[in-house]
Amino acid sequence: MANLKEIQRQIKSVSNTQKTTRAMKLVSTAKLRRAEELAKRSRLFAQKTNQVIAEIAGRVKCNKVGGIENRCFVENNAPEMIDIIFVTADKGLCGGFNMQTIKAVKRLMSEYKNKKVKVRLRGIGKKGIEFFNYNEVEMLDQVKNLSSAPDMQRSSEFMTRSINDFKEGKIDAVYIVYNGYMNVITQELHINRVLPVNVDSYDCDKADNTMLELEAQDEEKMLDSLVTKYAEYNMYYALIDSVAAEHSARMQAMDAATNNAKEMVNSLKVKFNKARQEAITTELIEIISGVESMK
Amino acid sequence: METLQLEVLTPSGPIYNGPAKSVTLPGEEGEFGVLPEHVSLTTLLQAGVVDIVKENGKTESVVVNWGVVQITQNKVVVLVDGAVAIRGESEGDIAKALDEAKSLINSVADSSAMIASVSARIESAAHHLV
Repeated sequence: MANLKEIQRQIKSVSNTQKTTRAMKLVSTAKLRRAEELAKRSRLFAQKTNQVIAEIAGRVKCNKVGGIENRCFVENNAPEMIDIIFVTADKGLCGGFNMQTIKAVKRLMSEYKNKKVKVRLRGIGKKGIEFFNYNEVEMLDQVKNLSSAPDMQRSSEFMTRSINDFKEGKIDAVYIVYNGYMNVITQELHINRVLPVNVDSYDCDKADNTMLELEAQDEEKMLDSLVTKYAEYNMYYALIDSVAAEHSARMQAMDAATNNAKEMVNSLKVKFNKARQEAITTELIEIISGVESMK
Repeated sequence: METLQLEVLTPSGPIYNGPAKSVTLPGEEGEFGVLPEHVSLTTLLQAGVVDIVKENGKTESVVVNWGVVQITQNKVVVLVDGAVAIRGESEGDIAKALDEAKSLINSVADSSAMIASVSARIESAAHHLV
């Protein structure tokens, strides 16, 4: 009989968990919708900004615009120090979402360390920070509560340090690693090199012949402020994309958890019924054998 | 009359996306107007007012705080940090947009003359709407 009670207790506990995970899934679904909307509206701006920057960078590369020597556009083949900025969630319970980013960061770090390049790690998001702290990896910055509530101003402030260090020549590249939103069931890992601007995809021959007029007196200034905005904006976009992805990952994880709990309750119920049947059979046998012995 | 394709984009979404007869932009080195068939140009914008003349001849004003504009053939893409369009269904909406626009300008402009000129322009634009 003790066994029966034990199973009953388990069933109760599992179905309570199921209720919690289902509620969490609903919360994530609602949050996802908002985050998705934000990311969608912003995506157009992201594409255009990158397009404008890529065009300018491409033209600088192809020497169509003379006299610009901005390190933001020139690839450094022998970097000495780079910045890696990662974005993870502040909360767990979202499947492999955070771990994927962490793994990518580790891979990127070891890749550069093998090349004898110094890596400065800047972290956003509690989960990633906790991981690297636990593994005693040194971090330059640890920013919490930003990835769950993206804010243009805070992300710009955060990014400014990397941008300035890059412009001053302290660092040679800036990477942003984050898990982005693709659709409700998939997340896509992004490893974006923000600085220097990526010009590999720009084909000099295919470039159209439209004139690109930059104001002559302060083209450096223009490029400077444009690149700053571009980098700041990319950071912000990484954050909002990551939030959307986080919610979709959590939604999925919680959905799976709910289903698992359901299955578990079912198998426990079978077990319970069997045990109950067994108890009845035993009791019957006891009665019958008692009667038999009295004859 | 020919029109140009205008897009005004901010990080939080597009403000304007559609055809326009002309557009006036607050360039870093002074205000300039763009008509269809404008030469290709990429330049910075400073805080100020973007005036859009729509297909129906009506003018719409958008206050911006910083931006970059890319003009290619008949396409004008304005990328801005923060923007407030002076429009609305009722007077209340317009007044609200005006307030937002003023606080946007106050947050970036460094000279009071500029704030005054922008305020005056958007107020007259709002006046035409009502």
